[in-house]
Amino acid sequence: MVEVRLEGVTKRFGRVTAVNNVNLTFGDGEFTALLGPSGSGKSTILYLVAGIYKPSKGRIYFGDRDVTDLMPNERNIGLVFQNYALYPHMTVYDNIAFPLKLRKTPPEVIRDKVLEVAKFLHIHELLDRYPAQLSGGQQQRVALARALVKEPEVLLLDEPLSNLDALLRIKIRSELKRIQKELGVTAIYVTHDQSEALAMADKVVVINRGVIQQEAPPDTIYNEPRNVFVASFIGSPPANIFPATMDYTEEPCINLPGGTRHCVEDEYAGVLWRMKPSKVIVGFRPEHAEIVENPVDGRPVIVGEVYTVEPLGRENIVTVASEDIHLKVITPPEVRPEAGELVYVAVEKGKLMLFDPQTEVNLRYIAREWSQGG
Amino acid sequence: MGEGIGEGGPLVRGSMGIVIILALLIASLPIIMTYSTLILTSFANTIVSSPWVKFRFTLENWRLFLEGKLAPTAGVVYTPEDILRFIVNTAIVAGGVTLVVLAASVTSAYAFSRMNFFMRSGMMKLLILLHAFPGVALIVGVYAIYVFLNSYIPRDYSVYYSFIFVIIARASLEIPMAIWILKGFFDRVPWELEWATIVDGGSRLTALRTAVLPLVKPGIAAVAIFAFLAGWEDLIYVLVFLPPHEKTLATYIESQLGSGTLETTYLPVVAAAGTLYLIPTIIFFVVTQRLLLETMSGGLKG
Repeated sequence: MVEVRLEGVTKRFGRVTAVNNVNLTFGDGEFTALLGPSGSGKSTILYLVAGIYKPSKGRIYFGDRDVTDLMPNERNIGLVFQNYALYPHMTVYDNIAFPLKLRKTPPEVIRDKVLEVAKFLHIHELLDRYPAQLSGGQQQRVALARALVKEPEVLLLDEPLSNLDALLRIKIRSELKRIQKELGVTAIYVTHDQSEALAMADKVVVINRGVIQQEAPPDTIYNEPRNVFVASFIGSPPANIFPATMDYTEEPCINLPGGTRHCVEDEYAGVLWRMKPSKVIVGFRPEHAEIVENPVDGRPVIVGEVYTVEPLGRENIVTVASEDIHLKVITPPEVRPEAGELVYVAVEKGKLMLFDPQTEVNLRYIAREWSQGG
Repeated sequence: MGEGIGEGGPLVRGSMGIVIILALLIASLPIIMTYSTLILTSFANTIVSSPWVKFRFTLENWRLFLEGKLAPTAGVVYTPEDILRFIVNTAIVAGGVTLVVLAASVTSAYAFSRMNFFMRSGMMKLLILLHAFPGVALIVGVYAIYVFLNSYIPRDYSVYYSFIFVIIARASLEIPMAIWILKGFFDRVPWELEWATIVDGGSRLTALRTAVLPLVKPGIAAVAIFAFLAGWEDLIYVLVFLPPHEKTLATYIESQLGSGTLETTYLPVVAAAGTLYLIPTIIFFVVTQRLLLETMSGGLKG
């Protein structure tokens, strides 16, 4: 198949910059998720790759081929729209056959190919129906079949699951990934649903306000968010983020809310010594903390009062108020403190994240850039 | 919407149904009366002006009308009128207006809906203003254009010229509203459908033809009906611009009822003309109403 490369791509709509100087490579045969809130520019990037939008600046390459000025139909892409965009007045068969008809493929070949892709997606019994007679999941498959029938080099998916109900979404999610791997097609998948992105993608690209925030495998995105935005966007509930002051008497120590102190020993210590920021932004994931009765063993501990408890069956989400900061902690179902109770929130060792208060970049990444820079 | 009036229980449906039918009957009684008077008279030997008039069924009126013999009692010698020609004339004007309106409004409504150009919203407002102008008020200006252009037309072609002129002039009165109606239909077709076609390998024109137009069919049907009826019913423009001997059904009926002729006109014959005049309207409506009510949905989720 083919690798897709964006070089310095900017897209402006009037005075609004939707995509700002993006450099991005979508690996050959890889499944890449573009993840971001609505209005972040993720769909714009997809439509730039499709050729529906033209970049205001920068070039787009499919392998060695510069496709920046090519029309969508000269790019050999398959596109699945969020609303499927099936032709309502055509049968399922005609919908799938349409791209081949436009290419003036001989009718016998069209027949074979449509049947093949329909069987592959288990919709061969629906070929005589009209889109309105199909369920959401079936329409979704028809849209996918129409995109795949022309054997595209690049498969583009614009939130294809967002109109399906939750159960179906999880089912099709795994199926979609299987299909993509089986065909080995380069896939770009736009979503605002982080669980979809983390579950399906080989690589996740987090975008906000037209700028790439982080580009990494799902594990890294989750465990080592590059900045405050990624940390607060990924996770359900997202990471707890709050500011804290520092002091550097013997070791770099963070003054946590509630009056406790935590002295940093791990890889953050070196950066802190060098930068000596008077403040940092602290973050940790709700699932990386627990509620304890006594602060023990050098774990970072925050003192607070239980604010609410939300039992979810498999787990509880406990909100703890400390000073004016609300922290969320995921606890096992049997841990159910009373509201108003005084508790300690202990964060797992090595799971505390520190961010530069100015740039909001994870200090760990700053440390790495330094060590790489020499 | 599931709890609508028509979907209540059997009891509600029964009594409500009767009330609704009664109300509709009363509301439409005057219209039903006039039309049934007209149609009955055309098949009767006298004017059927009330349910108690005794009349005999006859096709004589239709024969006289189609032969162009309009004043059978007058006993004067005159040349019969060429009714077939009037019918063809009416069809030419109505069909021509329909074609011109469709060609102009489909393309411009698509442009107004899909493209960005200088003064787009200003022009949309201007269209409403244009629609608000009564056609009669414009006739002086339109006549001036007619006369001006006519001086360049060879005499032999002036009949064709006046037909084309009537069609275009009458169509222009309908176009602003047609554009508004169609733009509404185009606006409801999602961009993605066109994009899908373009990604699948079609041009923008292919997308318009294969993806968009089938979805705005109800709008096109509505516009076509209005345009056809406007042409079919038009009196003033035809009267002013067509040569006196090229009548349409509307101007023909008018000429029979006009000042000075009403006394000598045998009204049952005119009733036959009026009935014939109604038929295309009814046919056109029956043919297109399925399209009008047809809603295309599904395959698209917003």
